[in-house]
Amino acid sequence: MAAAASSAPSSGSAGDGTRATSKWLDAHYDPVANLHTFSSCVTLADLHGDGDYKLVVGNFGSTGHEMKLKVYQGTSLLSENTLPDLPTSVVSFLMEQHEPRMPALAVASGPYIYVYKNLRPYFKFTLPPMEPNPMEKVVWEQAKEDKVDLLSMKEMLEAIRENAEMPLSVQSLRFLTLDPPEMDSFVNQHKSQPIKRQTVMTCMATLKKNRVDEDAISCLVIGTENMEILILDPEAFTILSKVTIPSVPTFLDVAGQFDVEYRLTVACRNGSIYILRRDSKRPKYCIELSAQAVGLVRIQKNIIVACSDETLRGYTQKGKKLWGVTLPATPITLGIMDEKFQSFQAVLVALANLEVHIYRDKNLVNVIQVPDIVTSISFGHYGREDNTLIMTTKGGGLIIKILKRTSTFHKGDTAVGVPVAQSIKLSVPKKTKLYVDQTLRERESGVAMHQVFQTDLSRIRLMAARAYVRALECSMTPVSESLQEPLKLNAVVQGMGPTFKLCLNLQNMSENRAVANLLICFVYDENRYSIERPFFKAPMLIPGLNYPLATFVECLGDQGISDIIKVFVLSEGNSRPLLTAHISMPVSEGLAAA
Amino acid sequence: MAEVTARPTASQPAATELPKARSGRVPDLPILEKRNWLIHLYYVRKDYDACKITIKEQLQETQGMCEYAVYVQALIFRLEGKIHESLELFQTCAILRPRCADNLKQVARSLFLLGKHKAAVEVYSDAAQHNQKDWEIFHNLGVCYMQLKYFNKAKDQLNNALQLNRHDLTYIMLGKIYLMEGDRDKAIEVYKKAVEFSPENTELLTTLGLLYLELEIYQKAFEYLGNALTYDPCNYKAILAAGSMMQTHGDFDVALSKYRIVACAVPESPPLWNNIAMCFFGKKKYVAAISCLKRANYLAPFDWKILYNLGLVHLTMHQYASAFHFISAAVHLQPKLAELYMLLAVALTNLEDAENARLAYQKASALDTCNPLISLNYAILLYNQGDKKGAVLQYYEMKRKVHALKESTLEFDPEMVDIAQKLGTALQLGEVAIWAKPGKDSKSKPRGTASSTQPLGSNQALGQAMSSAAGYAKTMSQAIGSSTQLAKVPSLPLEPKPNEPTAEELTIKRQEQIQPIEQAKES
Repeated sequence: MAAAASSAPSSGSAGDGTRATSKWLDAHYDPVANLHTFSSCVTLADLHGDGDYKLVVGNFGSTGHEMKLKVYQGTSLLSENTLPDLPTSVVSFLMEQHEPRMPALAVASGPYIYVYKNLRPYFKFTLPPMEPNPMEKVVWEQAKEDKVDLLSMKEMLEAIRENAEMPLSVQSLRFLTLDPPEMDSFVNQHKSQPIKRQTVMTCMATLKKNRVDEDAISCLVIGTENMEILILDPEAFTILSKVTIPSVPTFLDVAGQFDVEYRLTVACRNGSIYILRRDSKRPKYCIELSAQAVGLVRIQKNIIVACSDETLRGYTQKGKKLWGVTLPATPITLGIMDEKFQSFQAVLVALANLEVHIYRDKNLVNVIQVPDIVTSISFGHYGREDNTLIMTTKGGGLIIKILKRTSTFHKGDTAVGVPVAQSIKLSVPKKTKLYVDQTLRERESGVAMHQVFQTDLSRIRLMAARAYVRALECSMTPVSESLQEPLKLNAVVQGMGPTFKLCLNLQNMSENRAVANLLICFVYDENRYSIERPFFKAPMLIPGLNYPLATFVECLGDQGISDIIKVFVLSEGNSRPLLTAHISMPVSEGLAAA
Repeated sequence: MAEVTARPTASQPAATELPKARSGRVPDLPILEKRNWLIHLYYVRKDYDACKITIKEQLQETQGMCEYAVYVQALIFRLEGKIHESLELFQTCAILRPRCADNLKQVARSLFLLGKHKAAVEVYSDAAQHNQKDWEIFHNLGVCYMQLKYFNKAKDQLNNALQLNRHDLTYIMLGKIYLMEGDRDKAIEVYKKAVEFSPENTELLTTLGLLYLELEIYQKAFEYLGNALTYDPCNYKAILAAGSMMQTHGDFDVALSKYRIVACAVPESPPLWNNIAMCFFGKKKYVAAISCLKRANYLAPFDWKILYNLGLVHLTMHQYASAFHFISAAVHLQPKLAELYMLLAVALTNLEDAENARLAYQKASALDTCNPLISLNYAILLYNQGDKKGAVLQYYEMKRKVHALKESTLEFDPEMVDIAQKLGTALQLGEVAIWAKPGKDSKSKPRGTASSTQPLGSNQALGQAMSSAAGYAKTMSQAIGSSTQLAKVPSLPLEPKPNEPTAEELTIKRQEQIQPIEQAKES
C-alpha cells in the first residue's frame, strides 16, 4: 500500500497497474510453459555467436523430478537436454578465445558441474572430496581387518562425532543410526569402501579472467555447502583460489577481473553478507542483516539485498547501510535491470502479492502486475531485442516483456506524496431522526428519566437480592451450601430427540470427606417426558472426582414443545434437597423432522 | 499445484536409486546436504508448503540424517506455533551435529518463546561459549534477563551486543529497560544514539517523540514525530501523537486529515476514534463526536477515558441522564480521579439530585489537591443551596489552589476567572485582587472589573449562569478558542500515568483540553 502510494507521483498519475505497465510491451505469455525454476537457473546467452540471444533454463519440472536443460529461441523451445539431478545454478561463460565466440553453459548440480558446448555435453567437473577424519579412518581400517566389534566401533564413532571439529562421513553417520542387528551386514558391505566426504554446490557465478569486455574469458566462482568459495580456471578446471567463509553461501555476486582485482559479495545462511577481495583469506567486511537474504544484486558500487522481513536495503561495498525501504509483501526473487541505452540501472523485485516492483535506489519507479507469483526474473538481451524482461511463474508460466524504447524512468528523488488514504472520507454515520428525537426527549425530561431509571434500578437490585436469598434458602442452586456436603452439579443434554441422554456431573468439593447415601430425583411433566430412571441412588462420592451419571429421557409429545426438568440431589432421610438444577430441554428435532 | 502432484512421487528418487545401488556392488550413500540450498531457498521465500515437501524427500532419502532439513523443519514448526515439536526437532539436530552454536541459539529461542527464561539463559550462555562474537546471543541473553527482571544484567548483555555489532533492535530493548526502571533521561539518551545510528527507523523516531511528549518538551517531540512521518507517512503511532499535539493547538482540520490515514490503516483503534471525536467536538460537531466516541467505546468498552469524553460531550448536549451513565461507568473503572467525580457532580446537579452531587463534590475535593475548578464548582453548588458558610470555605480553598498554581506560571481560563469573581462578589468577599495578581492574563482584568460592576450577586443570576441554554454556545466557543491556555490548567493532576501505552497518552491530552470547557460551562 505504502510503496504503491508513493509511486503515484512518479508515474504521473495514480500508480495503478495499467498505467505503470504501459512502459512495457507484452511480447509473450505462456501460462503452461511448464517452467519451474529459480533466478539462479535462468540465463540469457548468445549460444551460437550470431547475436541471437537464447534463453537457457535449468528446469525442475512440475514435480521437481523431471530435470531438463531447456533452451528457448523467440517464443519456441529450441532444444532440451535431460539433467541427471536438480540444477543449482546455470551460467554461460566463454571458455576460450576461438572465433566465433560461442559461450559454454555450466550447470551446477550436486557436487558436479556439467559443461555444455554447442548444447552438447562437453565436460563434467567434480568437486574434490574433502579430507575424512583420520580417527574415523582408523576405526574403519580396524573394521576392515575385523579387529573391532560392532559395539565398541559404535562407541568410538560416537565419541568422534561428539568431540571432533570435523564432521563424520555419511557412511559412519548411517552406521550410527542403525539397530544392532543391521550393523553387521552394513559393516561387511561397506568396510572395504574407502570413506569419503563429498560436498555440494550451493551457488555459482562467473568472473572475468583478465579483460572487462563482454566477450572475455570468464572463470567460474562457486560456493559450496562446506562454507568455501572456489574459483575455477575456465580451461583446465583447476582450482585457482579457495576461501573459507563463516557460513554456507546462498547468493553470490562478483565484480572485477580475476587477474587484476575482484570483489565477491556472498550472502550466507546465517543472515550475514560477507565481502571478500582478491588475496583476502578471510571476509573483509560483514553485514549482519538480522533476517535472511532473499536476493542480492549489485548496482555500480552498491549492494542491494531483499530480506525475508519484507525490506529492501542498500549497502555500500564496505558494508555501510545506505537506505532501507519496506516492501508491501514478501520478496520472492531479485533481478538487475541494466538498460544500456539510457544507462539506467534498477533492481527488479518480484513480490508474493503478484507484483514486480522496480526500484532505483530507494525510489519505486515502476510496478508491473503479473498474473502469478514470479519465481525467476532476468533482464537483458533476448533474440535481437536489447531490453527484455523474462519471468517464470510458480505455476510454470513464462512471461516475456519488452521495454518500450520510448519509456523513461524518473531518475531523481521522488518526493513522497500525500498518502492516498488521506483523501478518503471518514465513515461517520449520519444523524438520524430517531436520534434527534431521543436527544430532544432527553433534554426535555432528563430529570424524570433519571429518577425513573434510578428507582427501577433499585427495584431490580432488590428483586435480585430476594431471589438469591430464596434460592439459598431452598437449596435451588447447583452448588450446595452446606458444609457437610459441599457438592457441585452440572447437567448436559445430548441428542436430537425424541430420545435424549441426560448426563449429570456430580462432584464432591470437600477436601477429604467422602459423601455417601445420596439420592437423585427428577421432577418433570409426565405428559411430556418419560425418564428411564426418575429416581436412583448416587454412588459414594470420593472428593475431587467427577461422577458422570447418565439417564435417558424420552420426549412424548409430538408438538415441538420443550419443558424444564428439575433435578434434585437429596440426602437420605432429609426431605430438603441439597442441590437443585433446572434443565431446559431442547426441542425434539427428531419429531420436527418426521 | 506442483506440491500436490509432488506428493505421490516423493519417494521416487529413493526407489530409482535402489536398483542402481544393487547393480553396483556397494550401494552409494546419498550426499546428505544435496538439497539444503533448495530447502533454504524455499524457506526464505516463505513458501513453506514446498519447503516441507522438499524436507520430507530429503529426510526420506537420507533416513533422517540431514541436519539442515530437520533444522528448517523445526523453524517452520515454530513459525506455525508448534513450539514443543520444534524444540524436539532442535534437540535431534543437536544430536546430529553437536557443538553448533546456531542450534543452541534456536533451542534457547524456543525455550524463550515457551516462557522458560531461566532455561533459555542457560542455553544461551552455553552457545556464547561456542561463539563469542555473535551479537544475537548477547542480545537475546539481554532480553531474557529483562524478562526475568534482572535489569542490570540485561543492560550489561545488551551493551555487549552493541559493542559487537550495532542493531536497532538492541537499542530498542535497552531503551525499554530504562523505561521499565523509570529512567526516562537514560532512555532518551539510548534512543538518541539509536537514531544517530539509523536515522530512518520510524519506530525509534516515534518512540523518542513520544518520550519528549511525556516530558512536555513539545518542540522536540514534534520534530521527531515529524521526521518519523516524513519517512513513513502512514506510521499510525506517530500520526496519533502528532495529531493530538495539533489538537492541543486547535488545528482540528489538520489533525482530522491526518487521522484519515490512520482510519484506513487501523480502523479499529479506540484512541484514534476518541481523538477524531474530540476533533469534531472542537469543531462543535457534537453529533459526529458522539458517534465516533460511541465507536471508540464499542471497541474498548473498559477505557475510562473514552467514557469520560462521552460524558463530557453529553453534558454539552444537555443530555444529563446519558452523561450520568457514562461518567458513573468511568468512575467504576477509574475510582481515583477527582475530575471524574466533579463531572459526576455536575451531571447530578443538573438532574436535580443535589444530595448526591454534594457527596460527589466531597469525594472529588478529598481526592484532589490542586485543581481550583473543583473547589469553585463546589462552592457554587453550596452557595446555590444556601450554605454560604460552606461556599466561603470552598472559595478560600480555591484561592489556595490558585496561589499554588501561580508558581507554575500558567495562565487561567478567563471564563473561570470571570465566574470566580462573580462568586466572590456574590459571597460579598470582594477580593478581586487574587486574579489580578497573575498579571499575565490581560484579558481577564477588564473582564473581571466589568463583571464586578454589574449588578449581579444574586442567587438568581448565578443560577442563570449555570443552566441558561442560550448562554452555552457563546461560552463554549470562547472556551475552545482559547484552549491553548486552558489545556495547561489541569494538566498537573493528570500526569501520574506514565505507564500507559503511548497511544493512550494522547487521550489524556485530549481530555485535558476538553475538561476546562466543561468546567467553564458548569460554573
